[in-house]
Amino acid sequence: MITFNKCEIGYKSVLVRIPELNLSAGHIYALIGANGSGKSTLLNTIINKKSLLGGELFIDSKSHATFSAKELAQKIAYVESKFDGVEYLTVEQYISLGRAPYTDAFGRLGEDDIKAISDAITILSLNSFKDKYTLNLSDGERQLVAIARALAQATPIIILDEPTAFLDYGNRIKLIQTLTKIALQENKCIVFSSHDIELCLDSSIQILIVNQQDKNLELCASDITKKEILRIGFGI
Amino acid sequence: MIAKKRNLFLYFVFFLILIISIIGHLFSGQINISFSDYFDSIFNFDSENMNQLIAREFRIPRLTMALIAGAGLSISGMFMQTLFNNPLAGPYVLGINSGSSLFVAFTMMTGLSFFQTDFGIITSALIGALVFGFIILAFSLFVKSHISLLLIGLMLGSFTGAIISILQTFSSAQELKSFTIWTMGSLQHVQLSQLPIISIIFILGIGLSLFLIKPLNILVLGEKSSVILGLNIKTIRIATIGITALFAGIITAFCGPIAFVGLAVPNIVRSVFKTQSHGKLIVGNIFIGATFLVISDAIIQFLEQWIQLPINAFTSIIGAPLLILIVLKRLK
Repeated sequence: MITFNKCEIGYKSVLVRIPELNLSAGHIYALIGANGSGKSTLLNTIINKKSLLGGELFIDSKSHATFSAKELAQKIAYVESKFDGVEYLTVEQYISLGRAPYTDAFGRLGEDDIKAISDAITILSLNSFKDKYTLNLSDGERQLVAIARALAQATPIIILDEPTAFLDYGNRIKLIQTLTKIALQENKCIVFSSHDIELCLDSSIQILIVNQQDKNLELCASDITKKEILRIGFGI
Repeated sequence: MIAKKRNLFLYFVFFLILIISIIGHLFSGQINISFSDYFDSIFNFDSENMNQLIAREFRIPRLTMALIAGAGLSISGMFMQTLFNNPLAGPYVLGINSGSSLFVAFTMMTGLSFFQTDFGIITSALIGALVFGFIILAFSLFVKSHISLLLIGLMLGSFTGAIISILQTFSSAQELKSFTIWTMGSLQHVQLSQLPIISIIFILGIGLSLFLIKPLNILVLGEKSSVILGLNIKTIRIATIGITALFAGIITAFCGPIAFVGLAVPNIVRSVFKTQSHGKLIVGNIFIGATFLVISDAIIQFLEQWIQLPINAFTSIIGAPLLILIVLKRLK
């Protein structure tokens, strides 16, 4: 789904190197690394907000650089670490904005769009508050709503920047479970950055660590321990 | 569903209020003109009839201008508020009125007209608005963040304000007076023969605005999310500024800068209709914006037998308390 080939990622200097890596559909990946190790930069590179310093990145074996903004929006959905809500914007209206890459010039919703929106609402069980204003939700609810918006976008890839950062412990567990479920059931490739090492180890999430010493991104074996993660990623 | 019905009901109510205020405007003048005179003045004009002449030459152009200016300024204010994600933005935030003022000041106070025509002031104002519209468009191609663009607009305003002050020190008392009166705004100087061109530009602006509905709906999520949803920020920025310049430019050219409407009305509309769907907001701004200016001008027209009030002062007197009321209600 996402293929890296000799990628160098960073701003002026290289923060992360990815010699070779393939992230596939039906899997969920947690990106772990110290502050400033380039996690966000890597995610920004995948969503094409930031260009590569070197190497090549392929989405569905097509070079990343050749996608138009609209084409890319049909491949990758992105969820920011915090959605603050917008005054007078209802949950349903917000989720429907996820259909923007598919609707006509006036943004009118067709049958497919309406179905995608209602499916996203059902998958995340948001039916009871779809008419609420996004500003009046709790942080946990808002994060689920943002994920529903990404689901409505019907992309094979979903990228999330520290989706658990502003949640309490219970909501963190729920969110990670929800993401895992979506990756499996909807056959999506989900990549998220996180500091919740224990939570990621407890579930069937594959872990990517930015090696603190050589800056290489490593895909960890499924039996990796917390101790090793701390050593590779944080030098502890 | 409930929200949908509620909004339909609101549209109906505001449409009725608009019709009532239009009728009020037609009959608020010092000289009583009957319905049949109004009807005849359009469809069966008799230039010998004094009442029909007043209706045709003064009342109808003034009313039409109030409708267009109210609606146009409100829509462009809403565009700027969404583009800059700031409820305090308005149609003049980018300095389009500064451009008009500067060129009008030149025309009036140096005797140096850019176009020696009968309506030199209007052409100067229009050219000023267009020139400044293009300047800000040019900046918008290079500037990354919307906030910087906002600052550039404000600085252009201060800069032209300074030049106008300097011009004023060199001008005669009479020139100074006519410029000051222009800055107070007026709906009375529009002539019947100018209405077609104003109306065509207004309708063109509304037509173009329909293409902004989708991008602006997305833009409320912020620039980063919008880009990821496939939006080209620069194109949208240019289109939004261009349409705002068109509305604000033509209105300022014919009426002078009219304060507060473009700032207050979009805020009122958002809190009344409680939506971020810009299609609905455009309709709401047309209804409430037009109503706001028609009522204001009807009152001014009614008071004319005792006092001449400038439209600018009047819109601020009504608009400012209204806006404070809304802010207080929102904070609760």
